[in-house]
Amino acid sequence: MAHDSHDSHEYVPEIAVDRDGNQHEVQGWQGDTYGGKLGFWLFMLTEVMMFGSMFMVLSYYFHLHPQDFLDASAGLNRVLGGTNTVVLLVSALTMGLGLLKMRNGDVKGAKLMIWATILLALVFLGVKAVEWTAEYHHGIFLGLDALQSGNEHSLPFGQILFFGMYFSMTGLHGVHIIIGIGLMLWLLKRINSGKVTPEHNILHFNIALYWDLVHLIWVFVFPYFYMIGAGDIAGGVIHGH
Amino acid sequence: MVTNYKAEKASYYKVLLGLLVLTAITFVQPSMFLTHYTFGMQMLIGTVKAWIILMYYMHLKGEVLIGWTVIFAVFLVAFFFAIVMIDVNYFQFADVSHITSPAQ
Repeated sequence: MAHDSHDSHEYVPEIAVDRDGNQHEVQGWQGDTYGGKLGFWLFMLTEVMMFGSMFMVLSYYFHLHPQDFLDASAGLNRVLGGTNTVVLLVSALTMGLGLLKMRNGDVKGAKLMIWATILLALVFLGVKAVEWTAEYHHGIFLGLDALQSGNEHSLPFGQILFFGMYFSMTGLHGVHIIIGIGLMLWLLKRINSGKVTPEHNILHFNIALYWDLVHLIWVFVFPYFYMIGAGDIAGGVIHGH
Repeated sequence: MVTNYKAEKASYYKVLLGLLVLTAITFVQPSMFLTHYTFGMQMLIGTVKAWIILMYYMHLKGEVLIGWTVIFAVFLVAFFFAIVMIDVNYFQFADVSHITSPAQ
């Protein structure tokens, strides 16, 4: 991997001069890996709180309409949802291995792993698109009659709430996947221009963290929507609140 | 920079294996065991998976400050969660709200 010197990410220290004309090197924070990590974690915690609020709403609706939620959940395609679960799981591995390779000096291997992660992210979106399309053709989609109350095609109200949350939360999660793909492409560009290197890999580290967060959110989204209605018996929920 | 490359790589694969096993359990649980407690079991399995991801993939193991920050954020969400759930149980417009008393 060859980089022109003007493209490299060399840190040029700032020099401050005191009143006696003595020069002092100003402390730079470019290499502050821990600070970069802590800052990114603070951002991710805002994400946790945002999705946490959505889970809170979801739980309240579930509490109000347990049987409708179980019925609606039973109608989702668990094969497609499960496939996406495994796809995200493997993509978390490829992203992690990419970071390991980068830290170990294998830049080419790291880039290959990032491309593999992007590919898996696209597979995830493709599966999600197939799933949403099938639901649309079954008449279940935002704006269609089934999800509007007060007409002859309306689903039971609890199911309308369930599917409203389902499309909102999986949609928002999908937006995070798309942002993740964008971040990975940007990361590749930064690696190619020599601005992310085995020695300066905090951007790679933080984008890997972001991808793990996207995976982490799915770890709860998947069972909450797809699995709670999977059994024959009431899903562990006492009917009639 | 990293001297334990092989060991770390091996641990990544072990974590993957663990997560795959837990995912398989997620699939079979509703029809195979504790079927009366599906929701609780699913959330429990999800929590175990989340803990593994946080500790090993997100490198929280050994991170004291960031670890406590995460605990604080989760506590904050749980706290508001509890407050809201208590509050909605005493919702004064429950009988007339479209959400709590939808027209059938």
